[in-house]
Amino acid sequence: MFTHIFFNRLKCLLRDKMTIFWTMVFPLLLATFYQLAFSNLTANEKFQPVNIAVVDDENWDKNENFRQVLKDVSTAEDNLFNLQVISYDEAEKLLQNNKISGYIIVDEPIKLVVSKSDINQSIVKSFIDIYMQNYSAFDRILSENPAMLKQLTNNTGKRQTFVYETAFPGGKPNFVVNYFYSLIAMACFYGGFLGMREINEIQANISSVAARVNVAPVHKMKAFLSSSAASLLVQYCEMLILLSYMTFILGVSFGNKFGYILITTLIGSIAGLSFGAFISALAKKTEGVKSAILILTTMVCSFLSGMMQQSIKYSISRNVPFLSWINPLNLLTDSFYCLYYYDTLSRYAINIVVIIAFILIFSTTTYFILRRRKYASL
Amino acid sequence: MIIGVNNLVKRYGELLAVDHLSFSVKEGEIFGLLGPNGSGKTTVINCILSLLDYDKGEIEIFGKVMSPDAYHIKRDIGIVMQNIAVYNELTVYGNIDYFCGLYINDKALRKKLVEEAIEFTGLSEFTKFYPKKLSGGLLRRLNIACGIAHKPKLIILDEPTVAVDPQSRNKILERIRKLNEQGSTVVYTSHYMEEVEQICTRIMILDRGKAIATGTKDELKAMISLGEKITVESFAITKQQLSDLRKLPGIVSVDYRENKLVIKSGKGKNNLESVLEFFKREKIQFGKIFSELPTLNDVFLEITGKELRD
Repeated sequence: MFTHIFFNRLKCLLRDKMTIFWTMVFPLLLATFYQLAFSNLTANEKFQPVNIAVVDDENWDKNENFRQVLKDVSTAEDNLFNLQVISYDEAEKLLQNNKISGYIIVDEPIKLVVSKSDINQSIVKSFIDIYMQNYSAFDRILSENPAMLKQLTNNTGKRQTFVYETAFPGGKPNFVVNYFYSLIAMACFYGGFLGMREINEIQANISSVAARVNVAPVHKMKAFLSSSAASLLVQYCEMLILLSYMTFILGVSFGNKFGYILITTLIGSIAGLSFGAFISALAKKTEGVKSAILILTTMVCSFLSGMMQQSIKYSISRNVPFLSWINPLNLLTDSFYCLYYYDTLSRYAINIVVIIAFILIFSTTTYFILRRRKYASL
Repeated sequence: MIIGVNNLVKRYGELLAVDHLSFSVKEGEIFGLLGPNGSGKTTVINCILSLLDYDKGEIEIFGKVMSPDAYHIKRDIGIVMQNIAVYNELTVYGNIDYFCGLYINDKALRKKLVEEAIEFTGLSEFTKFYPKKLSGGLLRRLNIACGIAHKPKLIILDEPTVAVDPQSRNKILERIRKLNEQGSTVVYTSHYMEEVEQICTRIMILDRGKAIATGTKDELKAMISLGEKITVESFAITKQQLSDLRKLPGIVSVDYRENKLVIKSGKGKNNLESVLEFFKREKIQFGKIFSELPTLNDVFLEITGKELRD
């Protein structure tokens, strides 16, 4: 009986285009959209060399030290500047047309001409300040004690640091991954459509098909569990497709705890299914209204877990932590976040325990509603 | 006795949907539950099937108390719902196989039964069709096939011909009669009196959750005072002539509206001959004239004072 119901339910679910769209196609489309949107953001985050010019005059030719230093920082692999050596008029023209952030006139002291004050102008100014400070210090030391030349040459470029850098245990810091993790959480909870369908087709007061199943010699809970197992299989496979798509096509990083990622996705899928079943069993409304409740709840929880704006998640964690703990989508998002960033599993374990508690609440409530043997009205 | 219902009471809040109803269905019968919409037919069926909770009463099927987990009873019941109860994602064959599989575990036997049900309902050409591609009549036949494939001893059909064209309706009724001939006891609910008259061996007329009459169609018709009903299409009858008609022996009532004259006789009286003689004598011109015996609608009308289709 289990296999009979299970395989027929699989057929039904796989042929239900609307449910497949919401539970699989929609998250895939959203992930693609995210990738398109965030790829530009990450590209903008990469340091771009500052376009500058230096006025090609007699002082520039004479100041060999400065010429050498500027050349070094403009030609290295991680170059600081894109340097042009041009005439004063040309430099002024390029500055007016915003082609360069500023131009340098080698004088005593070195002058920087800019048209506005921005991050690029600050970089050029800092560079010139540091150069002039070092040059001045070297000049004074050598004029007082020429014997220090060798020592100074050896120590050039050495810095005493008071902050120690250690290797990061998790993945590389990446502000984009949280968006994808919250998207996975949303997709898990869109599995609620499957749970909702299972309830609709087992509650005789909701559909005719359910009434027919109820008059058959099959235990209601057995029928429900068989069909729910089919729903879980479909939902989990959809989630694996989404994870594979994100990992192999979009290049989203999940860290290296693959086993835990699969377990988290499975728990998320169960949570989503049980949530949909819970909503459907609890709300005595039409299927359309129940779907609307499911979508609305999921979207609000996704928003609060940072799916649209990452700072929302942190703001809620800081200011209203209780809201973070009662939002299963946030817990799921945070679980993926922990697996990616943290070396230890303590915070991850707490998240998973709370999600399992949610699953138990949803399932128990659904069970007590489902176990009703007769209905007051049909 | 296949079904025994004793003193059944079902309320929806303030509304008394089933009012102390008692009846029994014997083996081999086609038992009709006839009543207008809202008379409580479907509520009674749902109570019998233990889908609905009821306030009072006892229900037995096959001599055993019916309950939601009486699987040994449910195994021998087939139900054809008023609404189409099939999966849109399964084909005709898939649907019948699925519902039959809820009763029959043996795969080979199930295959045989499904094929028989397909042939019986005339769906052989449509086995690979999905329900959305079927016409209303074919859908109803699929609905029936899903309910009867496992060859139940008791088949309950709740308004199975609603919104079906006359041709498909006749086919469905034929098949129900055939199922009965093959040994199934049938409970058939409808608000179409012609259907119930056509196929049911015993009929219970329901109104506002109460049984107002039970018996064979002849027994029911014998309960009322009306005998023959003569309808005449005539364009010119005077008030005096109508008055004279009423005085003919055995005539109970004469009603003349919109060129249609309806003459009712008392039980056991036949007045067609005397009416024709009267028309000839009075030289009254007439078009069609026909005589009818009382229908179940007349039974309902006389007992409740309203039409069955009100």
